Amino acid sequence: MVEEITNTHPKFAVVGHPNKGKSSIVSALAMDDSVQISDTPGTTVKQRSFPLKVDGKVLYELFDTPGFQRARRVLAWLEKHEVSADKKQDVVKAFINEHENDERFNDEVQLLEPIMAGAGIIYVVDASKPYGSEYEAEMEVLRWTGQPSMALINHIDESDYSVEWKRALEQYFKMVRTFNPMQTSLSQHVNILESMAQLKEEWIVPIKSSIALFESYYEQMLERSASLVTRLVYESTSLVEKLGFDTEDASDEDKEQIEGNYKNRLRELEHHTQEIIEQVWNHDHLQIAQENLTFDGMDLFSEETASVFGLTQKELIVTGATSGAVTGAGIDLLFIGHTLLLGSAIGAVVGGVGAYFGFKELAEVKVLGRTLGKKYLQMGPMENRNFPYILLGRALYHTSRVSKRSHALRGVADLEMNSTFKEKWLDDDLKKSLEKYHKVFRSGKEIELEILKEYEVLIQGVLKKLVGK
Amino acid sequence: MHLKSYLNLHELLANDSASREENRAFGLAHILLKNKPIAQLVAWQEEHSAKLKQPSTSEKFTSYLYGVTLTLVILAFILGLLSGIGLLSYSGHEPVNVIYFIAMVVFFPLFTMSLTFFSMIRANSAQSLLVHISPAFWMEKILSLLPNKIQNVMKEIKINPLLLNWIVIKRSQLIALFFSLGLLVALLAMVVTKDIAFAWSTTLHVTPEAFHSFLKSIAFAWRDFFPSAVPSIELIERSQYFRLGDKLSEEMINNASKLGEWWKFLAFATLFYAVLLRFFMYLFASFGLNRAIKKSFLTLKGANSLLKEMNEPIITTRAVNDEERFVPTEESYVQIVHTLDTSYDVVQGWAISKEQLVVLNDSMSVIAPKFFEVGGANSFEEDNEIISKSHGEVLFFVKGWEPPTMDFVDYLQELSHNVDKVIVVPVGTAENNYEIKQSSIDVWDRKFSQLAEEKIWLKR
Repeated sequence: MVEEITNTHPKFAVVGHPNKGKSSIVSALAMDDSVQISDTPGTTVKQRSFPLKVDGKVLYELFDTPGFQRARRVLAWLEKHEVSADKKQDVVKAFINEHENDERFNDEVQLLEPIMAGAGIIYVVDASKPYGSEYEAEMEVLRWTGQPSMALINHIDESDYSVEWKRALEQYFKMVRTFNPMQTSLSQHVNILESMAQLKEEWIVPIKSSIALFESYYEQMLERSASLVTRLVYESTSLVEKLGFDTEDASDEDKEQIEGNYKNRLRELEHHTQEIIEQVWNHDHLQIAQENLTFDGMDLFSEETASVFGLTQKELIVTGATSGAVTGAGIDLLFIGHTLLLGSAIGAVVGGVGAYFGFKELAEVKVLGRTLGKKYLQMGPMENRNFPYILLGRALYHTSRVSKRSHALRGVADLEMNSTFKEKWLDDDLKKSLEKYHKVFRSGKEIELEILKEYEVLIQGVLKKLVGK
Repeated sequence: MHLKSYLNLHELLANDSASREENRAFGLAHILLKNKPIAQLVAWQEEHSAKLKQPSTSEKFTSYLYGVTLTLVILAFILGLLSGIGLLSYSGHEPVNVIYFIAMVVFFPLFTMSLTFFSMIRANSAQSLLVHISPAFWMEKILSLLPNKIQNVMKEIKINPLLLNWIVIKRSQLIALFFSLGLLVALLAMVVTKDIAFAWSTTLHVTPEAFHSFLKSIAFAWRDFFPSAVPSIELIERSQYFRLGDKLSEEMINNASKLGEWWKFLAFATLFYAVLLRFFMYLFASFGLNRAIKKSFLTLKGANSLLKEMNEPIITTRAVNDEERFVPTEESYVQIVHTLDTSYDVVQGWAISKEQLVVLNDSMSVIAPKFFEVGGANSFEEDNEIISKSHGEVLFFVKGWEPPTMDFVDYLQELSHNVDKVIVVPVGTAENNYEIKQSSIDVWDRKFSQLAEEKIWLKR
């Protein structure tokens, strides 16, 4: 039986010919990468609801539906019932009721049900392929439902037949919009929602609040990512690895082992953060579809990663010197310039030299005594000044890619990395600001929450710049 | 605010005790606490503390802390008592020099309290040196060397170092307080049970007047209320003692009973400097610890995310139910034609016009006497008529980019019943010279592999 409308939240059924990207559009609009998408017709066998919920309250609902399989037959059945326009909906309902258990019309019943339960129609076509008369039966059937409708032009391939499509679609739909589910952005998402709101007057308010919510959701995701990246940089830089040994002196194997453990811990931290960031952006299935979005084969400690994400030796020296000079300038200020700005000069030299020597080594392996006569090796906190930049660069790169990745994409992402990424986010002022915090992180001391918060704000700013809207 | 709450929260956060939905529901149920993060965390901790396995880490830790503190307090009291007895013991040769006792109950507390004060200021620094010189810090270090199961538990607990500083500071004040009480008890007990001849003696050239003035300033807190607890100038003069001669002066011996009057001053000095001020320091340390606990709540790993989960609405956009998975067939269609013949009995096109069919035939060098457009805008009656007119071998062009719908399959099956052979030819767009992508043909191939029709062939 066709359900009567029981609640007033807006509903939209995404319908169309098979293989025209309905599921991709739903996947992108619902930010759900679990939807099965393939080029085989009939992949979607049942209608599926994707509600936008806030604390359990549904603001609007999207329905992914199977494509039309026997549109001409449905139309023929409908047209057998010659009725006035106001009774056409009843005929469609009668069709659903009569064919509910008819295997032949399973797909049509599945797609018509939400429409007859009050859902607005979003008819999806692929304008990279020519228009054909076989679509007319589908559009006629939809017209019989009497529900508000719009057409969404998708471009699966590069060819463009949108002019002829628009001409045809405008005969049946009062609104025709273009949407590329493979390149979603917040603004594109918002535009489509605004168009959907126009379908029915009473949907304008709930959809407008949904848009506001989406924007704050987006902010939330950015904020969470920034917080995770901050934690990663802090925890990795201040990480200390220990390894006990019973002999008089630590052997080379022990030293190799602790270095291996230390590096693995850092890799784990990075990988774990990447996974959570993927979850934050609703890309839970990413790691199932592909091992790891980024850095496959590009190890955290490789020369390649250092050259792509890290600072150059010269940049490190300049940043170290500037940061040292800032500390020295504090001393100068304290003595109201009576030091003849010697503090700045000495600070710059000390900072610069520290940076130069800190380019290759990660952290010194120290042998420390322990009570009851045992000794242990300790590695960390990180001494390499370049490391936080490398780690941060990788984390920002990963986050920006994940956040921009459409939920409709299913293939393995083609990642091209080059040093230009660094230029997109890191300038001299930011380097100075970051170095101040990296220095604190490297000290290994317990740091105050406010400091992490300040760093997080910096990272959030960078992410906003990288991700945009 | 208790340490126990902090430790419980620490454990609950580490155990990931509640789902995001539960946390948000809690946030909504306690909406009045929304802008009070610490109160929210405390309330959340109270709500979930039943989930902790018993005995909880906080119970183990606080019981350990209580045990260690009690031991240290008893030791400090005994030490204070013994020190007091030692300082007030009369050797039989020399009277008891009050300066030692004053040093112990006035200057030593003032000195240690000053150190405590600085360590309180520096307590927010993770590695405060001043905390490390606290007796509580070192006594605990010594205790930790003793074999004890609890030590293993303690190693697992990672307490914020700032908080640890305050715990040490507070405990040091308690220990010092009991040490002072030990001194006070020793003084009172010795005064009651012995006849102590108090005197004062110094190598420095100090006149009784100057000493009197000095003692008067020490006694500033009680001199107006208890003037008898401030030694008079006469008493100071009479009780000055010089070691040379190895004998007590006649005057001292004659006024032996009056020399005992010093005890009141010593008792008040102990009470005020060693006990009362220390008690205030203890209260101050308790206040500092409470503040540190509050502050540490927010520094706990996961606390910030928990607050976000409680205060930010849960926005979900995903499907409620799992998708009914479609498993595409892996089989390939076996009835494949690779090259077309030059002539066929009928040529048909699915939603392809007659004009386009003529062009297609030309491009593929195929001739046929009959051309029909089927499907598309045709009615079923029109299609059925075309089927009845069809015979022999049919070349059937389809738009390769469109997936085969069941409407097409229905027609194809009907047609195959009426003719000898149907060769389905998926073609590309005219712009691409009717060439079709391999992936599009694969779609047709997979669909046909589900049909069990002997007369239907696919051109690849």
